[in-house]
Amino acid sequence: MHLIRRALHTTSSINPAEIAHFSRLSSQWWDEAGEFSFLHKMNPVRMRFIREKLLEVARDEQPALDASTTSVLKGLDVLDVGCGGGLLSESLARLGAKTLGVDASEANISIAKLHAAQDPKLAQPGPSTSLSYLHTPAEVLLKEAKRYDVVCSMEVLEHVDNPPAFLDTCAKLLKPGGHLFLSTISRTALAYFLTIFMAEDVLRKVSRGTHTHAKFIRPDELTAFFRAYPNTKSPWVATGRGPPTRTQAEIRGLIYNPLRAGWVLAPRDAWGAAECNYLFWVRKPLVEPTHNDT
Amino acid sequence: MPLLFPTSSIYRRAAGRLHKSLRRAISTSTPEEWDVVIVGGGPAGLALASALGSSQLVRESLRVALVEASDLSKVHGWIPAAGTFSNRASSLTHKSQTFLKDIRAWDHVEEERTWPMQDMQVWDGVSDARIEFSGSLLGLGSPVQGIARMTENLNLQRGLLRHLEGIPEVQILDRAKVQTIDRAEGDWPLVHLDNGRVLRSRLLVGADGFNSPVRSFAKISSYGWAYDTQAIVATMFHPPRGAFIGPNTTAFQRFLPTGPIAFLPLSPIASSLVWSTKPPLATALIASGAVVMSNMINAAFRLPDVSMRYLNRVILDAHASGTPVTAAQIQAEIAWREQSHGIDETSAYASAFIDAMKEGIPPSNAELLPPLVTSLQPGTVASFPLRFNHTDSYLGEGRGDRTVLVGDAAHTVHPLAGQGLNLGLADVECLSRCIQNALLQGGDVGSRTALLPYGQERYFENHKIMSVMDKLHKLYSTSFEPVVWARSVGLEVVNEFDSLKAALMMEASGKGLNGASVWDVAAKGVESLASATDAARVVRTGVAGMFGAALQGVLKKAGNSLSSQNKQ
Repeated sequence: MHLIRRALHTTSSINPAEIAHFSRLSSQWWDEAGEFSFLHKMNPVRMRFIREKLLEVARDEQPALDASTTSVLKGLDVLDVGCGGGLLSESLARLGAKTLGVDASEANISIAKLHAAQDPKLAQPGPSTSLSYLHTPAEVLLKEAKRYDVVCSMEVLEHVDNPPAFLDTCAKLLKPGGHLFLSTISRTALAYFLTIFMAEDVLRKVSRGTHTHAKFIRPDELTAFFRAYPNTKSPWVATGRGPPTRTQAEIRGLIYNPLRAGWVLAPRDAWGAAECNYLFWVRKPLVEPTHNDT
Repeated sequence: MPLLFPTSSIYRRAAGRLHKSLRRAISTSTPEEWDVVIVGGGPAGLALASALGSSQLVRESLRVALVEASDLSKVHGWIPAAGTFSNRASSLTHKSQTFLKDIRAWDHVEEERTWPMQDMQVWDGVSDARIEFSGSLLGLGSPVQGIARMTENLNLQRGLLRHLEGIPEVQILDRAKVQTIDRAEGDWPLVHLDNGRVLRSRLLVGADGFNSPVRSFAKISSYGWAYDTQAIVATMFHPPRGAFIGPNTTAFQRFLPTGPIAFLPLSPIASSLVWSTKPPLATALIASGAVVMSNMINAAFRLPDVSMRYLNRVILDAHASGTPVTAAQIQAEIAWREQSHGIDETSAYASAFIDAMKEGIPPSNAELLPPLVTSLQPGTVASFPLRFNHTDSYLGEGRGDRTVLVGDAAHTVHPLAGQGLNLGLADVECLSRCIQNALLQGGDVGSRTALLPYGQERYFENHKIMSVMDKLHKLYSTSFEPVVWARSVGLEVVNEFDSLKAALMMEASGKGLNGASVWDVAAKGVESLASATDAARVVRTGVAGMFGAALQGVLKKAGNSLSSQNKQ
């Protein structure tokens, strides 16, 4: 397993070189036409995935639920790990989630705070909206008692050094029944071609060195991780062959359409859609596995 | 004591003034926070405010303000006298009507004052090549709706204001002029009003017309040109259409080399004029008075181009000499021209003497021409210069971040197909949809990410229609024989293909709500072409007919110029 192989080399999930790289770029986080334009365009699609998945689960549990599609995040405790300039955190907060954005780069956190201060809706947390940022690695949050309804970590996994440790931290920060949303890039030849060769080397849309192919993670590796997590007897995703069921985990491809200059959320089970960028969702079981199981 | 009284009142007044200026200073230093500030209370601005206000999502999450310099209560309280019409009317397409119905604004438009346009007659002023568009071609469910609906702009604006009355969440700040717009480095736009209020806005919308202050603030450049053409508008009265012709629901447009003249129905006995012509002629026509103008309008739809050129010169010369043409003079001139063209007094093409009481069977071809104008509604004759203008972008950049343009602020179009207002409403529909989409995903409605789809969707669409209007204007402003022949052939060939015509009409009437239906029709057109023998027959007869028509046209022209020379 790729994840385990990499875990052997390192112990902490944070890579100092990656942090330095993003700190250098931090001033450009909110330049929507610049370095991070791809992320800006990806944001509405990521938000749609989060919202629709939460709504789907809510309706599964309460079929009579007449929740309007915008109120599903209202009042939830949401953690955005590796929030960067706060692209996702701001959107989550606007939809009413009590959002905490954390990032290992201090420069990112100050940019995120500065940007949110411009927005009267985010700067003065009301009864429904609250947004805060913290410069900390996610691991430190484990020391606190607070756990979250939703943990998001978008375009982060491919930058951490010890993915299993990182995923373990995210998993532990969730409340029972909580949702983990990830977005990352698959380790395929196509992904190398698009995200490194084209985006960084040829078109120079993204700074060189942003991505390292060997650090990319395939969707089946993520599924396998949660099939074995926390132990093979009481996994988050039922063991077996084939894709996980809709209620346990979901993989959705994210496809960039250069003609429309925008991202498209591929339909569920679209063939080959998750060969490059993809979104991943998994849900923590409602009942914590007891010690008898282990 | 009596002396003290005035002094104390002076003190009080001074204190009041001080207090007022103090309050203004405070309000200047602390801007009000808004999410959307729309500058401009014209149809586009009001429609955007209405569209946003009709969405529950927007009402819950955004503070929306509309700023307008004039007093909108006058529009809101507009009560036209019975039987009179405003001189600014637009043909609202299906798409525009559907949008207005969806946002529930159409409920507040006085529908009795609107009028369906069911057919269109368009013809070449030089060759008389003609194209007919009939609402029945579109397969419309209800014939009442027509290809489009003629609606006075004031009726629409008043309807939108009435609609907004029920939406307290959207605030209208009228009688407030925008003094300046600026911004602190990297911060949101600040709109300074002349009443001292300062609005800081997440998104600034320029719906402020051709000379858009918002556009100059955002430093969005534009390109365009003046057409050296003035459009005369007026409300015209005429007798109801006679028996066998049907109600007054046909729009007529004749392309004269000086510019197109359009006759747009408003009621059984009233229609709207849009006459584009050379500026000196427009001035002379307006100066010659309502009776002469009515005569000239009737002639412009009927007389051959050569006679129109002669009559135009008569009007111009009289205006230059300071003694305007009298009604009797112009009627005599028209009668003389008709005689020389062999137009009989009873012909549909005769207009020198109007007998409003004429009853009975209308002359043949009467359905090809608009009814004879008997009078113009006093005070409705006006004119404005025509321009083509398109901005380089609808979104501001850098200094102009969080700025977006809609309607005439973004594009000014030749009015020859009445598309200006419809394009503006389509902009508004798209922008309000983009804003709501952004809200759904927790987006910042002022961000480029939220607004980019608006620019992507509307820019090319508007440009396409504007270019067609521009090319048509240029194509028809010549009487150069080969060009006239080519455009006439084109028009008549199109006229032979119902499916192609239906596709064109969908564009013009906006019935094609999504691209698919237009393509369906186009596909049908290809199918009909595939039946080769049929197509060959159509083309053969069509072309043969056109050769004949062109030849006739040339002969007629030759005859006309001979007769006009004789007259001189």
